[in-house]
Amino acid sequence: MTGIDTADGGATGSDATGSDASAERRGTPDAATATYVFAVCRRLDPAVLSGLAGLAAGLPVRGLRVGPLTAVVQHVPAAEFSEDAWQQRLSDRAELERCARAHHEVVSAAAACGPTAPLALATLYRGDERARQALEADTDRFTAVLARIEDHAEWGVKVYLPMPSPTPSATAPAPPLPQGGRVPRGAGRAYLERKRGLHQAREHRHDRALQTAEDIDAALSRLATAARRLRPHSPEMTGEKHRLQILNATYLVTSVCEKRLRDAVAGLRHRTGAEVELSGPWVPYSFVGEV
Amino acid sequence: MTDVEERWAAPPANGPTTSNLADILERVLDKGIVIAGDIKIDLLDIELLTIRLRLFVASVETARKAGIDWWETDPALSSKAARNELREENDRLRERVEALESAEEGGPPPSRSPDTAGAGAGT
Repeated sequence: MTGIDTADGGATGSDATGSDASAERRGTPDAATATYVFAVCRRLDPAVLSGLAGLAAGLPVRGLRVGPLTAVVQHVPAAEFSEDAWQQRLSDRAELERCARAHHEVVSAAAACGPTAPLALATLYRGDERARQALEADTDRFTAVLARIEDHAEWGVKVYLPMPSPTPSATAPAPPLPQGGRVPRGAGRAYLERKRGLHQAREHRHDRALQTAEDIDAALSRLATAARRLRPHSPEMTGEKHRLQILNATYLVTSVCEKRLRDAVAGLRHRTGAEVELSGPWVPYSFVGEV
Repeated sequence: MTDVEERWAAPPANGPTTSNLADILERVLDKGIVIAGDIKIDLLDIELLTIRLRLFVASVETARKAGIDWWETDPALSSKAARNELREENDRLRERVEALESAEEGGPPPSRSPDTAGAGAGT
Protein backbone atom coordinates (compact mmCIF):
# COMPACT_ATOMS: atom_id res chain seq x y z
CA MET A 1 0.00 0.00 0.00
CA THR A 2 1.38 3.38 -0.91
CA GLY A 3 0.31 6.73 0.32
CA ILE A 4 1.39 9.99 1.77
CA ASP A 5 2.94 9.38 5.10
CA THR A 6 4.42 12.29 6.89
CA ALA A 7 7.79 11.70 8.38
CA ASP A 8 7.22 13.84 11.41
CA GLY A 9 5.35 12.44 14.34
CA GLY A 10 2.58 14.77 13.34
CA ALA A 11 2.20 16.01 16.85
CA THR A 12 2.53 19.70 17.34
CA GLY A 13 1.99 21.73 20.40
CA SER A 14 2.07 20.72 24.00
CA ASP A 15 -0.20 17.74 23.52
CA ALA A 16 2.39 15.81 21.59
CA THR A 17 3.89 12.73 23.09
CA GLY A 18 7.15 14.01 21.75
CA SER A 19 8.39 10.67 20.51
CA ASP A 20 10.78 11.13 17.66
CA ALA A 21 10.09 9.74 14.24
CA SER A 22 13.06 7.43 14.07
CA ALA A 23 12.02 5.62 17.22
CA GLU A 24 8.51 5.37 15.88
CA ARG A 25 9.46 3.61 12.74
CA ARG A 26 11.99 1.21 14.13
CA GLY A 27 13.51 0.94 10.68
CA THR A 28 10.15 0.59 8.98
CA PRO A 29 9.89 2.71 5.83
CA ASP A 30 7.07 5.27 5.88
CA ALA A 31 5.03 3.61 3.19
CA ALA A 32 4.84 0.55 5.39
CA THR A 33 2.95 2.25 8.20
CA ALA A 34 -0.63 3.38 8.46
CA THR A 35 -2.13 5.69 11.07
CA TYR A 36 -4.72 4.16 13.37
CA VAL A 37 -7.05 6.62 15.10
CA PHE A 38 -8.50 5.66 18.48
CA ALA A 39 -10.33 8.78 19.57
CA VAL A 40 -10.61 12.54 19.41
CA CYS A 41 -10.39 14.79 22.43
CA ARG A 42 -9.77 18.43 23.28
CA ARG A 43 -6.54 18.06 25.12
CA LEU A 44 -4.23 15.23 25.96
CA ASP A 45 -1.55 14.74 28.54
CA PRO A 46 0.96 12.44 26.86
CA ALA A 47 1.70 10.88 30.23
CA VAL A 48 -1.63 9.04 30.25
CA LEU A 49 -0.63 7.15 27.10
CA SER A 50 2.82 6.08 28.18
CA GLY A 51 3.29 2.36 28.35
CA LEU A 52 0.15 1.54 26.34
CA ALA A 53 0.74 -1.09 23.69
CA GLY A 54 -2.14 -0.02 21.48
CA LEU A 55 -2.55 -2.21 18.41
CA ALA A 56 1.11 -2.53 17.46
CA ALA A 57 3.67 -3.32 20.09
CA GLY A 58 6.71 -1.09 19.99
CA LEU A 59 5.05 1.84 18.22
CA PRO A 60 3.97 4.60 20.58
CA VAL A 61 0.39 5.69 21.08
CA ARG A 62 0.51 9.49 20.76
CA GLY A 63 -1.41 12.70 20.20
CA LEU A 64 -1.90 14.25 16.76
CA ARG A 65 -2.98 17.86 16.61
CA VAL A 66 -6.07 18.31 14.43
CA GLY A 67 -7.00 21.97 14.32
CA PRO A 68 -8.43 22.85 17.74
CA LEU A 69 -8.63 19.19 18.77
CA THR A 70 -6.26 16.31 19.40
CA ALA A 71 -6.56 12.83 17.95
CA VAL A 72 -5.17 9.81 19.74
CA VAL A 73 -3.26 7.84 17.12
CA GLN A 74 -0.65 5.17 16.53
CA HIS A 75 1.45 4.12 13.57
CA VAL A 76 0.77 0.49 12.72
CA PRO A 77 2.41 -1.79 10.13
CA ALA A 78 0.31 -1.26 7.00
CA ALA A 79 0.62 -4.83 5.82
CA GLU A 80 -0.89 -6.12 9.04
CA PHE A 81 -3.80 -3.70 8.88
CA SER A 82 -5.05 -4.11 5.34
CA GLU A 83 -8.66 -4.94 4.71
CA ASP A 84 -7.88 -8.62 4.25
CA ALA A 85 -5.82 -8.68 7.40
CA TRP A 86 -8.73 -7.19 9.32
CA GLN A 87 -11.14 -9.73 7.97
CA GLN A 88 -8.80 -12.42 9.23
CA ARG A 89 -8.20 -10.70 12.52
CA LEU A 90 -11.83 -10.12 13.35
CA SER A 91 -12.80 -13.66 12.52
CA ASP A 92 -10.40 -14.96 15.12
CA ARG A 93 -11.88 -14.73 18.53
CA ALA A 94 -8.62 -14.32 20.43
CA GLU A 95 -7.35 -11.69 18.02
CA LEU A 96 -10.66 -9.84 18.03
CA GLU A 97 -10.58 -9.76 21.80
CA ARG A 98 -7.00 -8.47 21.82
CA CYS A 99 -7.87 -5.64 19.40
CA ALA A 100 -11.06 -4.65 21.16
CA ARG A 101 -9.37 -4.58 24.54
CA ALA A 102 -6.37 -2.63 23.22
CA HIS A 103 -8.64 -0.07 21.55
CA HIS A 104 -10.70 0.23 24.71
CA GLU A 105 -7.63 0.59 26.91
CA VAL A 106 -6.30 3.52 24.88
CA VAL A 107 -9.69 5.25 24.68
CA SER A 108 -10.22 4.87 28.43
CA ALA A 109 -6.74 6.17 29.24
CA ALA A 110 -7.21 9.25 27.05
CA ALA A 111 -10.52 9.99 28.78
CA ALA A 112 -8.62 10.79 31.97
CA CYS A 113 -7.76 14.17 30.37
CA GLY A 114 -11.32 15.23 29.58
CA PRO A 115 -14.19 14.40 27.24
CA THR A 116 -13.07 11.85 24.67
CA ALA A 117 -14.97 10.66 21.61
CA PRO A 118 -14.03 7.11 20.64
CA LEU A 119 -13.88 6.27 16.95
CA ALA A 120 -15.17 3.00 15.60
CA LEU A 121 -12.72 0.13 15.73
CA ALA A 122 -10.42 0.00 12.70
CA THR A 123 -10.40 3.63 11.58
CA LEU A 124 -7.16 3.82 9.56
CA TYR A 125 -5.42 6.32 7.30
CA ARG A 126 -2.44 6.05 5.03
CA GLY A 127 -0.51 8.43 7.23
CA ASP A 128 -0.76 11.21 9.79
CA GLU A 129 -1.40 13.87 7.16
CA ARG A 130 -4.33 11.95 5.69
CA ALA A 131 -5.70 11.36 9.17
CA ARG A 132 -5.39 15.04 9.98
CA GLN A 133 -7.22 16.03 6.78
CA ALA A 134 -10.07 13.61 7.28
CA LEU A 135 -10.57 14.43 10.95
CA GLU A 136 -10.31 18.15 10.41
CA ALA A 137 -13.15 18.00 7.92
CA ASP A 138 -15.33 16.72 10.76
CA THR A 139 -14.19 19.23 13.38
CA ASP A 140 -17.66 20.64 13.96
CA ARG A 141 -19.12 17.24 14.52
CA PHE A 142 -16.40 16.26 17.00
CA THR A 143 -16.76 19.55 18.82
CA ALA A 144 -20.50 18.98 19.20
CA VAL A 145 -19.99 15.41 20.41
CA LEU A 146 -17.38 16.47 22.96
CA ALA A 147 -19.69 19.19 24.27
CA ARG A 148 -22.47 16.66 24.60
CA ILE A 149 -20.50 14.08 26.55
CA GLU A 150 -18.54 16.49 28.70
CA ASP A 151 -18.82 15.55 32.36
CA HIS A 152 -20.84 12.47 31.44
CA ALA A 153 -20.07 8.79 31.65
CA GLU A 154 -21.86 5.80 30.21
CA TRP A 155 -23.31 3.18 32.57
CA GLY A 156 -24.44 -0.22 31.39
CA VAL A 157 -27.33 -1.99 33.06
CA LYS A 158 -28.24 -5.62 32.58
CA VAL A 159 -31.27 -7.14 34.21
CA TYR A 160 -31.81 -10.86 34.74
CA LEU A 161 -34.68 -12.99 35.93
CA PRO A 162 -34.14 -16.50 37.21
CA MET A 163 -34.84 -19.15 34.59
CA PRO A 164 -37.87 -21.23 35.53
CA SER A 165 -36.85 -24.82 36.02
CA PRO A 166 -38.47 -27.05 33.42
CA THR A 167 -41.75 -28.38 34.79
CA PRO A 168 -41.63 -32.13 35.17
CA SER A 169 -45.28 -32.49 34.13
CA ALA A 170 -44.57 -31.01 30.74
CA THR A 171 -41.50 -32.97 29.88
CA ALA A 172 -41.50 -36.15 31.93
CA PRO A 173 -42.49 -39.35 30.19
CA ALA A 174 -45.91 -40.73 31.09
CA PRO A 175 -46.11 -42.56 34.37
CA PRO A 176 -46.49 -46.33 34.10
CA LEU A 177 -50.06 -47.55 33.65
CA PRO A 178 -51.85 -48.67 36.77
CA GLN A 179 -52.53 -52.39 37.25
CA GLY A 180 -55.06 -53.63 34.73
CA GLY A 181 -54.11 -50.92 32.24
CA ARG A 182 -57.08 -48.68 33.11
CA VAL A 183 -56.71 -44.91 33.10
CA PRO A 184 -58.35 -43.20 36.09
CA ARG A 185 -61.54 -41.27 35.25
CA GLY A 186 -61.09 -37.59 34.55
CA ALA A 187 -57.48 -38.01 33.59
CA GLY A 188 -58.01 -36.25 30.25
CA ARG A 189 -59.59 -33.21 31.84
CA ALA A 190 -56.91 -33.06 34.51
CA TYR A 191 -54.32 -33.23 31.78
CA LEU A 192 -55.89 -30.37 29.85
CA GLU A 193 -56.18 -28.23 32.95
CA ARG A 194 -52.56 -28.88 33.72
CA LYS A 195 -51.62 -27.80 30.19
CA ARG A 196 -53.76 -24.68 30.48
CA GLY A 197 -52.15 -23.85 33.80
CA LEU A 198 -48.70 -24.24 32.32
CA HIS A 199 -49.60 -22.03 29.42
CA GLN A 200 -51.02 -19.34 31.68
CA ALA A 201 -47.99 -19.48 33.92
CA ARG A 202 -45.78 -19.05 30.87
CA GLU A 203 -47.77 -16.06 29.64
CA HIS A 204 -47.67 -14.57 33.09
CA ARG A 205 -43.90 -14.97 33.39
CA HIS A 206 -43.47 -13.49 29.95
CA ASP A 207 -45.61 -10.44 30.77
CA ARG A 208 -43.91 -9.96 34.08
CA ALA A 209 -40.46 -10.10 32.50
CA LEU A 210 -41.40 -7.51 29.90
CA GLN A 211 -43.01 -5.28 32.49
CA THR A 212 -40.02 -5.50 34.83
CA ALA A 213 -37.64 -4.61 32.02
CA GLU A 214 -39.75 -1.63 30.99
CA ASP A 215 -40.15 -0.39 34.57
CA ILE A 216 -36.44 -0.53 35.26
CA ASP A 217 -35.56 1.15 31.98
CA ALA A 218 -38.10 3.92 32.60
CA ALA A 219 -36.85 4.55 36.15
CA LEU A 220 -33.20 4.76 35.10
CA SER A 221 -33.92 6.81 31.97
CA ARG A 222 -35.31 9.52 34.23
CA LEU A 223 -31.85 9.95 35.76
CA ALA A 224 -30.02 9.94 32.44
CA THR A 225 -29.31 12.54 29.79
CA ALA A 226 -29.84 9.85 27.17
CA ALA A 227 -30.56 6.12 27.11
CA ARG A 228 -30.06 3.36 24.58
CA ARG A 229 -31.34 -0.19 24.49
CA LEU A 230 -28.81 -2.79 23.47
CA ARG A 231 -29.72 -6.25 22.34
CA PRO A 232 -30.09 -8.61 25.26
CA HIS A 233 -27.60 -11.45 25.36
CA SER A 234 -29.27 -14.79 24.79
CA PRO A 235 -28.57 -17.67 27.16
CA GLU A 236 -26.36 -19.28 24.52
CA MET A 237 -24.24 -16.13 24.51
CA THR A 238 -23.99 -15.76 28.23
CA GLY A 239 -23.67 -19.50 28.73
CA GLU A 240 -25.93 -19.12 31.74
CA LYS A 241 -28.75 -21.57 32.17
CA HIS A 242 -30.06 -20.37 35.48
CA ARG A 243 -30.99 -16.82 34.53
CA LEU A 244 -32.36 -14.94 31.57
CA GLN A 245 -31.32 -11.47 30.52
CA ILE A 246 -34.42 -9.35 30.04
CA LEU A 247 -32.83 -5.93 29.65
CA ASN A 248 -29.52 -4.72 28.26
CA ALA A 249 -29.48 -0.94 28.31
CA THR A 250 -26.97 1.82 28.64
CA TYR A 251 -27.31 5.33 30.01
CA LEU A 252 -25.48 8.61 29.61
CA VAL A 253 -25.26 10.04 33.10
CA THR A 254 -23.63 13.17 34.52
CA SER A 255 -21.17 12.78 37.36
CA VAL A 256 -23.69 14.60 39.55
CA CYS A 257 -26.31 11.92 38.95
CA GLU A 258 -23.98 8.97 39.39
CA LYS A 259 -24.83 8.37 43.03
CA ARG A 260 -28.55 8.67 42.31
CA LEU A 261 -28.15 6.07 39.59
CA ARG A 262 -26.40 3.67 41.95
CA ASP A 263 -29.09 4.21 44.58
CA ALA A 264 -31.82 3.70 42.02
CA VAL A 265 -30.25 0.43 40.89
CA ALA A 266 -30.07 -0.78 44.50
CA GLY A 267 -33.71 0.22 45.03
CA LEU A 268 -34.86 -1.55 41.87
CA ARG A 269 -33.03 -4.71 42.86
CA HIS A 270 -34.89 -4.67 46.11
CA ARG A 271 -38.27 -3.76 44.64
CA THR A 272 -38.37 -6.06 41.63
CA GLY A 273 -36.38 -9.00 42.94
CA ALA A 274 -34.56 -9.04 39.61
CA GLU A 275 -30.80 -9.18 39.36
CA VAL A 276 -29.69 -5.74 38.18
CA GLU A 277 -26.03 -5.44 37.17
CA LEU A 278 -24.40 -2.06 36.75
CA SER A 279 -21.18 -1.61 34.78
CA GLY A 280 -19.23 1.57 34.37
CA PRO A 281 -18.15 4.24 34.18
CA TRP A 282 -17.53 3.77 30.44
CA VAL A 283 -16.32 6.36 28.00
CA PRO A 284 -19.64 7.22 26.30
CA TYR A 285 -19.19 4.92 23.29
CA SER A 286 -22.91 4.51 22.81
CA PHE A 287 -23.65 8.23 22.71
CA VAL A 288 -21.16 9.70 20.28
CA GLY A 289 -22.47 8.36 16.99
CA GLU A 290 -25.69 10.31 16.85
CA VAL A 291 -24.64 13.96 16.91
CA MET B 1 -7.70 25.07 33.78
CA THR B 2 -8.37 24.23 37.36
CA ASP B 3 -12.08 23.59 36.97
CA VAL B 4 -11.27 20.97 34.39
CA GLU B 5 -8.74 19.31 36.63
CA GLU B 6 -11.25 19.32 39.42
CA ARG B 7 -13.95 17.83 37.30
CA TRP B 8 -11.70 15.02 36.21
CA ALA B 9 -10.23 14.41 39.58
CA ALA B 10 -12.60 11.47 39.78
CA PRO B 11 -11.18 8.16 38.56
CA PRO B 12 -11.01 8.15 34.77
CA ALA B 13 -13.81 6.48 32.89
CA ASN B 14 -12.10 3.16 32.59
CA GLY B 15 -14.49 0.36 31.99
CA PRO B 16 -14.87 -1.73 35.09
CA THR B 17 -11.96 -4.06 35.63
CA THR B 18 -14.33 -6.99 35.34
CA SER B 19 -15.37 -5.85 31.87
CA ASN B 20 -16.29 -8.96 30.06
CA LEU B 21 -15.61 -9.30 26.38
CA ALA B 22 -19.28 -8.99 25.47
CA ASP B 23 -19.57 -5.63 27.21
CA ILE B 24 -16.47 -4.29 25.52
CA LEU B 25 -17.34 -5.67 22.10
CA GLU B 26 -20.81 -4.30 21.98
CA ARG B 27 -19.34 -0.87 22.55
CA VAL B 28 -16.06 -1.03 20.65
CA LEU B 29 -17.31 -2.93 17.61
CA ASP B 30 -20.62 -1.31 17.13
CA LYS B 31 -20.41 2.15 18.64
CA GLY B 32 -18.08 5.10 18.47
CA ILE B 33 -17.90 7.68 15.74
CA VAL B 34 -17.85 6.23 12.27
CA ILE B 35 -15.81 8.21 9.78
CA ALA B 36 -14.49 7.06 6.45
CA GLY B 37 -10.95 5.77 6.66
CA ASP B 38 -8.45 5.07 3.88
CA ILE B 39 -8.76 1.40 4.55
CA LYS B 40 -12.30 0.24 4.22
CA ILE B 41 -13.30 -2.15 6.96
CA ASP B 42 -16.95 -2.92 6.99
CA LEU B 43 -17.51 -4.40 10.37
CA LEU B 44 -20.96 -5.49 9.34
CA ASP B 45 -19.51 -7.73 6.65
CA ILE B 46 -17.38 -9.70 8.99
CA GLU B 47 -18.42 -13.25 9.50
CA LEU B 48 -18.66 -13.27 13.24
CA LEU B 49 -21.16 -16.04 13.37
CA THR B 50 -18.45 -18.56 13.94
CA ILE B 51 -17.81 -16.95 17.26
CA ARG B 52 -21.42 -16.10 18.02
CA LEU B 53 -20.82 -12.39 18.06
CA ARG B 54 -23.31 -11.38 15.43
CA LEU B 55 -25.36 -9.70 18.13
CA PHE B 56 -22.82 -7.02 18.59
CA VAL B 57 -22.91 -5.70 15.08
CA ALA B 58 -26.66 -5.35 14.94
CA SER B 59 -27.66 -1.74 14.70
CA VAL B 60 -29.42 -0.35 17.70
CA GLU B 61 -32.61 0.06 15.72
CA THR B 62 -32.48 -3.56 14.70
CA ALA B 63 -31.61 -4.49 18.23
CA ARG B 64 -34.57 -2.58 19.55
CA LYS B 65 -36.87 -4.48 17.28
CA ALA B 66 -35.09 -7.74 17.84
CA GLY B 67 -34.69 -7.05 21.50
CA ILE B 68 -38.11 -8.39 22.18
CA ASP B 69 -37.42 -11.80 20.71
CA TRP B 70 -35.30 -13.08 23.51
CA TRP B 71 -37.90 -15.50 24.70
CA GLU B 72 -37.99 -17.18 21.29
CA THR B 73 -35.23 -19.50 22.39
CA ASP B 74 -36.63 -20.13 25.83
CA PRO B 75 -39.12 -23.00 26.01
CA ALA B 76 -40.38 -21.64 29.31
CA LEU B 77 -41.39 -18.39 27.65
CA SER B 78 -41.79 -19.09 23.97
CA SER B 79 -45.07 -20.28 22.56
CA LYS B 80 -43.21 -21.59 19.52
CA ALA B 81 -40.89 -23.61 21.69
CA ALA B 82 -43.93 -24.63 23.70
CA ARG B 83 -45.68 -25.84 20.55
CA ASN B 84 -42.78 -28.13 19.83
CA GLU B 85 -43.01 -29.43 23.34
CA LEU B 86 -46.72 -29.98 22.87
CA ARG B 87 -46.17 -31.89 19.65
CA GLU B 88 -43.69 -34.18 21.32
CA GLU B 89 -46.05 -34.78 24.17
CA ASN B 90 -48.86 -35.47 21.71
CA ASP B 91 -46.77 -38.14 20.06
CA ARG B 92 -46.09 -39.73 23.40
CA LEU B 93 -49.77 -39.65 24.30
CA ARG B 94 -50.77 -41.26 21.01
CA GLU B 95 -48.42 -44.10 21.71
CA ARG B 96 -49.91 -44.48 25.12
CA VAL B 97 -53.47 -44.47 23.80
CA GLU B 98 -52.58 -47.11 21.27
CA ALA B 99 -50.98 -49.18 23.94
CA LEU B 100 -54.03 -48.73 26.17
CA GLU B 101 -56.56 -49.56 23.51
CA SER B 102 -54.76 -52.62 22.37
CA ALA B 103 -54.43 -53.70 25.99
CA GLU B 104 -58.18 -53.18 26.60
CA GLU B 105 -59.35 -54.87 23.43
CA GLY B 106 -56.69 -57.49 23.53
CA GLY B 107 -56.34 -56.94 19.79
CA PRO B 108 -53.79 -55.32 17.59
CA PRO B 109 -53.41 -51.55 17.92
CA PRO B 110 -55.86 -49.61 15.71
CA SER B 111 -54.48 -47.98 12.63
CA ARG B 112 -55.84 -44.56 13.59
CA SER B 113 -55.66 -43.33 17.11
CA PRO B 114 -57.71 -40.43 18.42
CA ASP B 115 -55.83 -37.31 19.30
CA THR B 116 -56.13 -37.24 23.03
CA ALA B 117 -54.67 -33.80 23.39
CA GLY B 118 -56.93 -32.35 20.73
CA ALA B 119 -60.44 -30.95 20.91
CA GLY B 120 -61.74 -34.47 21.39
CA ALA B 121 -61.80 -33.95 25.13
CA GLY B 122 -64.61 -31.47 24.48
CA THR B 123 -64.85 -29.77 27.83
